[in-house]
This record gives sequence, structure tokens and C-alpha cells, in this order.
Amino acid sequence: MPVGKRRSSLIRSPQFSSLVILIVLLAVFAIADANFLSPLNISNMMAFLPELGIIALGMTLLLTAGEFDLSVGAVFGLAPVVVMLLVQNGGVDIGVALLAGLLLCIAIGAINGLIVTKIGISSFLVTLSMLLVVRGAALYITQGFPLKSWDQPGFFVTLLAGSFNIGSFRFYTSLWWFVGLSLLAVYVLRYAKLGNWISAIGSNRNAAVARGVPADAVKIWLFILTSVLAGLAGMISAFRISAASPVAGTGYELEVIAMVVVGGTALTGGRGTILGTIVGALMLRAIRNGIVLIGVPGLAYNIFVGVIILAMLILHALLQKNAARS
Amino acid sequence: MVQEVLRLQNLQKSFGSVRALKSASFTLNEGEVVALLGDNGAGKSTLIKAISGVFPIDRGDIYVRGQKVSIRSTRDAMDLGIETIHQDTSLAPDLSIARNLFLGREPVNLKWLGVFAPLDLAKLRDAASALLKRVGISKKLDADALVSTLSGGERQSIAISRAMQFAAKVIILDEPTNNLGVEETHGVLRFVKEVRDAGHSVLLITHNIHHVFQVADRIIVMRRGEIVAEQTVADTDLLTVESIITGADMSALLKEARAK
Repeated sequence: MPVGKRRSSLIRSPQFSSLVILIVLLAVFAIADANFLSPLNISNMMAFLPELGIIALGMTLLLTAGEFDLSVGAVFGLAPVVVMLLVQNGGVDIGVALLAGLLLCIAIGAINGLIVTKIGISSFLVTLSMLLVVRGAALYITQGFPLKSWDQPGFFVTLLAGSFNIGSFRFYTSLWWFVGLSLLAVYVLRYAKLGNWISAIGSNRNAAVARGVPADAVKIWLFILTSVLAGLAGMISAFRISAASPVAGTGYELEVIAMVVVGGTALTGGRGTILGTIVGALMLRAIRNGIVLIGVPGLAYNIFVGVIILAMLILHALLQKNAARS
Repeated sequence: MVQEVLRLQNLQKSFGSVRALKSASFTLNEGEVVALLGDNGAGKSTLIKAISGVFPIDRGDIYVRGQKVSIRSTRDAMDLGIETIHQDTSLAPDLSIARNLFLGREPVNLKWLGVFAPLDLAKLRDAASALLKRVGISKKLDADALVSTLSGGERQSIAISRAMQFAAKVIILDEPTNNLGVEETHGVLRFVKEVRDAGHSVLLITHNIHHVFQVADRIIVMRRGEIVAEQTVADTDLLTVESIITGADMSALLKEARAK
């Protein structure tokens, strides 16, 4: 492909338009409120970013393969609740408890994936039911109360939610997790054989199957991955705030899907972009943070979030139409 | 001497109480285009799905180059050199031509990484360009172009070239000219002849009898799960075949056809 052509296709790509809008948004917020770019505020945003961002990486791969997962927010809540219950009430070692949490997430993802692929029910319905089951389980085993605070530092806490300072910025280790997992996801989707399979499955499942691609197995593993990432994000969050609440992560599933599609991944499968998802995660984080800073009343702020997401999607659709015409 | 490539003996397949395939036997030779004709529900698609490994057969034998084989999956069929191209279901529109050509057989570096192995992108693109050039559609098509930007005829040509690329002994074309314009249809039919001349055997499934007479060497007609007629194109004509398909006074027609 000639360089000029490659450049123009880059500019027309959905992740590029998302990036431009992100920069515009950041500029607007920075001008509206000088505190927006203060070290404290940036540190704050970077603390929250990985928690939803990590889930969004899994969701991007899953959406690219043509499925999605509404149970991630509930898993985000359940995993740390189970881990902390085991430690606090069961006297289990934290490492063992974390392993149990991991196995739980794997099981939830596997059940989602098996029902979707082997019984053939849409992932919307399967994971919606799973959301209720998982959230219900979290509420039941805690009797609805948040667990006692967890303030014992240790290897795992440092690994997942340790913090460090760079100048006047304070970063959490979760940011490294996000960066590392992002790089891995970019590699898998764009450069690995598996990524070719994922895109092909979402684009035309029958074609992929006809070429010998194990579509069902790939989907099941992606459901497992998404669930595990949701659990990991839940643990990171619980360690960071030293508490586990059974209602943590409520509504995250939609916010994560919004991040992914705002970044330019197609909801219908086949076209996924990890870079776009990173931009999308940054954008939603910046919007949530920025509109509070510039003084939008708290109760009104979902209106703004919704409107901005809608505007982004309309823009993507128009760009797509334009590209198809040319 | 004619070399036999694929031989089916008494293939049977039922779905519950429906006997979709009562008994099918025929032979496909090297460098031959055989057209499989029949009305809706005649058992054509059951037959080709059985050969291409979509589902297992209940009874009967399949021989590839004289060797008895068992085909349990699409992968089995592909490994035996049987490539099936379905209308609209052969390519992933969101992937580039190059990526589609090698889907499921991607050239990779560091093979030990399994599904995480990195694609050999340079090899992928070069092989795709070479392939496009060989099949004579390189001027218009860029190996990096998305399949969604191609026309229906171009997509069929890409799918057929892919089957040729992997040295398929048998290429099964399921309704390759459906929804194509006149010009594109001719392009695809011309391509089918080239495929045959390159030594591949083609099993062509179609509703359009006119196309059959343009490219096929032999015609096999199915009705209600059975093969009811098998003739060389030279020995028959359009009207005869048409009446066999619809089943209008079959016995007389068959007799007449055999008498010829």
C-alpha cells in the first residue's frame, strides 16, 4: 500500500477520529478548569482508568468475535467479595483465596461461553441472566453489607494496587497492568494468528468455521478471558479502596461497552481496535471527571455522558458511510 | 487414462425421520467439471455438506483417489483436498484479501507459540499478491484491500483462487453465480474452466441450467434424495435435463436419453 493511501486510511479510521475528539475534549476541559490537568487530578483519573479499561480490553476482543458480556460488572463485584470472605471469615490464605476467585471467574466465563456456543442462545440473554445470578450471589453471601475493610499490606496488594510517585504524580501499579495487557491485546488482535481468527469469526462465522477455525473454542476462551479480567479489575479496585462491596461495579457493563464502541469497535463484530478502546476508556474517564470539575450538577451528568457517547457514535456512522461511498 | 479423484458409494443421510439422502453414488474424475442439478429439497446440499464434512454420513463410503476415507469435519475434508465454496459464506468481509486467502492456514513465525504465533505479514502479502497475479485479477485488486470493498464476482474469484492455492483436488462450488450480474457471471464461469484446465476437479451446484451447459462436462441430477440421471453434456440437451429435474414423465425421458 502506498504511503499516501495508508495515511488517508489511518485518518479515516474510527480510532483516529476518536483520538481527535479525545484531544478536543481534553483541551476544552483544560481551558474550562485549570485543575483538570493538575497532577492530583491526572493521578486520580489514572487511578480509575485501569479498572474499567482492563475489562474493556477483554470486551473488545469479545465484541470483535461477535459476542458481548453483560455480566462483567457483577463479576467485578463478586470476585473480591468471595476472596475477602474466604480470607476474613474462612481464615484462608490470601494467595489461595485469590486462586479461588480466579477459578470462580473462569467458571463464570466458561458457563457463559458454553451456553452461547453450544446451546446457541444469544450472548445478550445469557450474560444478562448471568449478571443477575452473579450480582444476586454477591448480595446473598454478604447479606448486602460491604465487607470489613482490608488493610493488611502484602505482596498481592502491592502487585495489584501498590502505588508509586513520579514527580508530583501518584500512580498505581494497576496502570502497569493496563499498559501491559493493552500491549498484549494489540499484539493478539493485530499480529497474532488468533487475532485473525477472532476478526474472521465476528465478520463471518460460517466462513471461519469452513476454513477450520475452531470458532466455538475461541469464543469460550474469550468469555473466560473477559470474566477473568473483570475479576482482576474488581480485585484491583477492592485493594485500592481497601474494601469489597457486593454492589461494586453496578452498571459497569454498559460503561465498558460504551468505551469499546466509542473507540470504534463494531458492535456487530468483525472490526475491533484495541487502540480505539484505550482512547475510548480515556475519553469516558475524562468526561466523567471533567464535567464534574466544570460544575455540571452531579445528577445531570449522565445526561452529558449519554449525549457525548451518542455524538461519538453518530460521527463513526457518518465516517463509515463516507468511506463506503468513496 | 481417466484418473478417478472422488468416488461416492451409496451415501445415506437422515435427519430424524426425513431421509434427505437415500442413496447417492457417483464418481468425479481429474480435470472434470461435474454439475449437480436438482430442485430445492432434492438433496444436493445434504450431499455436498456430507462431502465437505459439515456433518457425518449415516452409511456409505467415500473414496479419494481410490483410498477409502472418513470425513468427520470440514478440516478433514480440507486435508483431503476437498474445498467447498459457498455463496456468501466463504469470506470474512472485514478482513483483507490476503488475510482471507490464508484464513485457517496462516503463515506464522515462531510456530511454537500456537495460536499466539505472530503472522508472517510479509509472506502473507507476497503470497496473496502472487496468487492474485496468477489468477489474473491483480491489476484491480490490492492484497491489503478489505473484502467488503469487492464485488460479488470478485469475491467468488477470490474464494475459488483460495481453493486452487491449496492444491485442492476437488473444488465444490455451491451456487457460485447467484446474485451476480451477467458480466460477473461470465467471469466466474470462465474462471471455472481455468480451474479445470489447471487439473482440478469441480463439482458445480447450481439452479441455472444454462451455466451448466457452458462449463460442465457431465451432469448429475438429483431428485428426492436420489441420483436419477447421470449424463455427459454432449449427450443431452437443455430440455431433457430440465424435464428430468422436474420429474415430468421421467421413465420415458430416461429411456430416450439412454437410447441416444
